[in-house]
Amino acid sequence: MPGVKVVIAESDLITSYGLGIAPLWKGLLEKKICFKTLKRFSLKSSPGFKAAYIDGLTYLKNKSLAFQMLEGVFAKNKSRIPSDAFLILATTVGEIDILEKYLLSGKGSAKESVMTNLLKKVERLAKLKVPGMVLSCACASSSAAMAQAAALIRSGKKDAVLVVAVDSINEFVSSGFSSLMALDKSRAKPFDKNRSGLSLGEAAGFILLMSEKRARKEGRRIEGEVLGWGLSCDANHMTGPLRDGSGLIKAILKALKSGRITSSDIGCIAAHGTGTLYNDAMEIKAFKEVYKKSIPVYSIKGAIGHTLGAAGLVEAILALKVLKEKVIPATVGLENIDPEAKGWVSLSERKLKNNSLMLNNCGFGGINAALILKHND
Amino acid sequence: MIKILGASWIRKNKSGLKNRGLTYKYADLKSLYLVLKEKGVFSSPVENFSRFDQESKLAAIAAGLALYDAGMLYSPGKKQDIGILAVNKNGSLNAQLAYFKDYIDSGRILGRGNLFIYTLSSSPLAEAAIHFGLSGPLLHMSFSGNQNNTKLIEYAQEMIKSGQVKTILVLKSTDSETSCFVVGRR
Repeated sequence: MPGVKVVIAESDLITSYGLGIAPLWKGLLEKKICFKTLKRFSLKSSPGFKAAYIDGLTYLKNKSLAFQMLEGVFAKNKSRIPSDAFLILATTVGEIDILEKYLLSGKGSAKESVMTNLLKKVERLAKLKVPGMVLSCACASSSAAMAQAAALIRSGKKDAVLVVAVDSINEFVSSGFSSLMALDKSRAKPFDKNRSGLSLGEAAGFILLMSEKRARKEGRRIEGEVLGWGLSCDANHMTGPLRDGSGLIKAILKALKSGRITSSDIGCIAAHGTGTLYNDAMEIKAFKEVYKKSIPVYSIKGAIGHTLGAAGLVEAILALKVLKEKVIPATVGLENIDPEAKGWVSLSERKLKNNSLMLNNCGFGGINAALILKHND
Repeated sequence: MIKILGASWIRKNKSGLKNRGLTYKYADLKSLYLVLKEKGVFSSPVENFSRFDQESKLAAIAAGLALYDAGMLYSPGKKQDIGILAVNKNGSLNAQLAYFKDYIDSGRILGRGNLFIYTLSSSPLAEAAIHFGLSGPLLHMSFSGNQNNTKLIEYAQEMIKSGQVKTILVLKSTDSETSCFVVGRR
């Protein structure tokens, strides 16, 4: 599919490891696990509830958790973002703690929690002059947002798109996942034979996508290329994935077609890897079907938790580092590899032998996203 | 040429089709669904329809009517490369209020999963995708300023042009109307 080359010109993030890619990279290589007992609220349905949270955020006070995270990220990056960039904000529930506060204390208004309000705040934070949009499709929100951003650039409709993603750990979301029995009682262990659910995390970040022409003209350091993308829906179940992986396969095949490459060009896979029984089994099935021979797969959700709508963006920023360093991190939190995943995931780091990476995310409603990132050596 | 192949609308107590020029009066969404099922708009029962939240009921009916208006058939279990996009102002605010109020009222001990799943703004689209076998991209969008369906239809046209999907259902909800357009190549 010919068109304008889409490059990543800027990126930054905050995770439970701290601000920036450096602590995330270091933490993963040191196999540090971020889950700690959460003191923001008590989850009666899940005593001793642990999550990968960001220290220093205040809860149910003046500013939402999402906004505090974004303020942290944008504080040092404002000058790097062009004011004419089109904003796509990706989130599942944005500032839902505003709604919590309203219902728990009567303060404020529930309507203030709607995502277009957060969109306006981000437009101001990033000093953008062009009205943007919110894109929400469960836990595939930010990978789908990057796909849409890349499509807008490839077609020549835009030459700079800022994708911002955020989701926080709050009582609303935690109690919801608990009600669905989706949380692991100890901590998430992606692709482990004893895995029993996910652990929650929180994160915020941005990626600035540009046409290669504009990025070069502005003398920006090109961090990588968005080579291809594909989106699909299982059309099967609200909370569980299609067991045979055919929904995800469809997204992956679309991404390969869009990138005009074959599965043998992919050096490793940044999996969704939540640690739930069905997600991880489905992903491995899909990978076996598409790639035939095993290639390295990793997940970071055993370290920083499932950051929901922000997951794809966090994983994309990390993927750029993986591609640059040519080092594939271990799947942190993994202890006993599921026999089905043997030869694919690893307890230790591996060398990357290729310069393209496939990133996958899946969400409630059977939403699948696949994104191919490339590092130009 | 990419065109609007079919369209539907649902207002208070009345719904209709653009191409076929039909209108249906109704008392509540359940009765509208039953009438439309009788008329063959739905080729099979919408599973768990009565458990859907209001937005999901509206999405399922509007999508069914629009596909019917476009003359596009579907059958249970058969997937089609059709995407679904939606735009509205408040996302899933009503479902979020319903879930968290219920959670508080029950002593903040355990939330109800069946309410929680509708707290995502993409959930009504997912319910429609499941019933109609829509296996293309599924995205909920909200824009700064006006929640303009022209913007969304143009967006759908771009997605089709760029090869992301062949056909897209575009849903727009306001306080007074839900409308759905089938965008694709004839």
